[in-house]
Amino acid sequence: MSGPVEKSGTSSPEVVVAAQGGVRAPERSKFQRVGEHLRREWQLYVMLIPTILWLLVFLYKPMYGLQIAFKDYSVFRGIANSPWVGLEHFETLFGNDQFLRALKNTIYISMLSLIFGFPMPIILALMFNEVLNKWFKNTAQTIVYLPHFISSVIIAGIVITAFSPSAGIVNTILGWFGYDSVYFLTKPEWFRPIFVGTSIWQEAGFQSIVYLAAIAGVSPTLYESAVVDGASRWQMMWKITIPSIMPTIIIMLIIRIGNMLEVSFEMIILLYQPATYETADVVNTFIYRQGIQGGQYDLAGAAGLFNAVVAFVLVMSANTISKRYSRTSLW
Amino acid sequence: MSGVVLKSIVKAYGAAQVVHGIDLEVQEKEFVVLVGPSGCGKSTTLRMIAGLEEISGGELTIDGRVMNRVAPKDRDVAMVFQNYALYPHLNVAENIAFGLRIRKEGKQEIEAAVEEVSGILGLRDYLERRPADLSGGQRQRVAMGRAIVRRPKVFLFDEPLSNLDAKLRTQMRAEIKRLHKRLGVTSIYVTHDQVEAMTLADRIVVMHDGRIEQIGSPMELFLNPVNAFVAGFLGAPPMNQIKGKIVDGGTGPAADIGGQKIALAPLPGLQNAVGREVIVGVRPEYAQIVTAPQDGAVMGELDLVETLGSEALLHMSIGGEPFVIRTETLGNINKLDDVKGFTAAPELIKVFDAKTGMALSGQTRVE
Repeated sequence: MSGPVEKSGTSSPEVVVAAQGGVRAPERSKFQRVGEHLRREWQLYVMLIPTILWLLVFLYKPMYGLQIAFKDYSVFRGIANSPWVGLEHFETLFGNDQFLRALKNTIYISMLSLIFGFPMPIILALMFNEVLNKWFKNTAQTIVYLPHFISSVIIAGIVITAFSPSAGIVNTILGWFGYDSVYFLTKPEWFRPIFVGTSIWQEAGFQSIVYLAAIAGVSPTLYESAVVDGASRWQMMWKITIPSIMPTIIIMLIIRIGNMLEVSFEMIILLYQPATYETADVVNTFIYRQGIQGGQYDLAGAAGLFNAVVAFVLVMSANTISKRYSRTSLW
Repeated sequence: MSGVVLKSIVKAYGAAQVVHGIDLEVQEKEFVVLVGPSGCGKSTTLRMIAGLEEISGGELTIDGRVMNRVAPKDRDVAMVFQNYALYPHLNVAENIAFGLRIRKEGKQEIEAAVEEVSGILGLRDYLERRPADLSGGQRQRVAMGRAIVRRPKVFLFDEPLSNLDAKLRTQMRAEIKRLHKRLGVTSIYVTHDQVEAMTLADRIVVMHDGRIEQIGSPMELFLNPVNAFVAGFLGAPPMNQIKGKIVDGGTGPAADIGGQKIALAPLPGLQNAVGREVIVGVRPEYAQIVTAPQDGAVMGELDLVETLGSEALLHMSIGGEPFVIRTETLGNINKLDDVKGFTAAPELIKVFDAKTGMALSGQTRVE
């Protein structure tokens, strides 16, 4: 036999001594650890740079302009040279009936959207999950995703046509049952249901993708185990699927609450008209009319800042409550 | 009786058949282990018994009732899964009670059952915890608790210990064995780990490529494998298998291994077999070390010694083929450097046909 036989499980005396002798690596400072980490993972940080730049240029730099909410802003004097006026614009806003009406409408429409619009994608996802026929499932999913990819202008056009008093399908159907034509889009009481319904039609399908992805992440053995335990499909949906996707639902709810005052601006502009301002005018359309059309940038800036502060408070509160009661949170 | 009978059970996915008509009778209270390499069809067979896979052909009866078309919930079986299948949003007590709640049993009955089962499995202190807050062993106990709380006729285990580390696996293996003794429920257990199979089973079913290779008690299979596959699958390390040829050994049959002769027992299967190409099988435990050439010994080269403390595994090369000897160290591994070959008692050497792999040697008595 040539050469020595290799033996596992043995170690040289030196190795044993080193292990027992308590030779410890020197303590490193926090800066050293961070530096070492940066050197090791620098590629990841390089990849972050474009996003950070985008955030700085488009979201943080414009914050400089927020100060016009507290200034008597003039385009000619510029932001820096316009005189400070304190909370004057906020006082004007809260004394302005149009703003208060817009705020009320925003909250009203947001609440309706939350109550009817938020559960819809979840329901759709649960329904798609139960469909066994692949062809039917694919077709149905395509149909409900489609409106998301159509421009809001076209969607608004479809809605206006559908509710047209002369040739609209809605009035045609009402006519079959002997009802008179109604010009829905000029009736303040019909604006909110039409707007919320349109938003659901346009976005619910696409939003359901998030929940479908969450459902796809549920371990199939949970269902198999439940089947052996005797659970029906209905019981599995209530006792496994919904609780399993609850963290996703909560995260989406927090995001939704944060965006509550950001009612779909484009769609409102496209669908509303002076006849429906009473129920249709929201904070964003108010800002648009005052700031862009009326040239009152400072007043519009104050309204925008108010909107942002409320959104910030809402998202913080929702996150804190969720963290405390459901162990799920955005951060 | 709560036995499980499989008659010519077939599973096919389209044109691909993965289980080829297996027959198996599991007696009441028996612990049967299905063992085999990945893809041998053992888990598919178990899932067909559970009702999670449709049976493509044959007949399955549980407790004398044909179950082919019966829904899983009506088969009165409980299953423990490899990844525990615990509901992450429910705590331990709720997980254990899940099956009873689904069946709308009374609140008091459920509480009493959870109390009893958690006591048996040592889970009383963890009832309020969620699965994420438990160790692997505790999670596996909860999974078993969920199965036993329903008092089913049959337990089905699908590789329940494969996610645990080696130490915990040994511990849980003993717990499963104790639990089976205590509850006496018919159990079918799937594993690819032959140690689990050997230690847990009343009977082992060795599967390969969708077919049953052999059924028997652990020792029957260990001592009398019907073919080279079973011989190579059971035992750790597995049986050494070296190519050879049957020759006349003078006083009886012998095997020629690369020009070296080793005596074989004069068994009926080896009569008139001179010249036949065979595989000679020697378990590492049955090989005796030799340090100098001697009659009846097969010589080779020692190239690695793996020390396990009280034992060592000697990795040798016999005519270019690997051969492992398991031997006691008696506290001194240096003496093993001089090992030059091995001998083995003829009655402990197995001989398999080189072409078919079927055993040619006779039975070794099971004590």
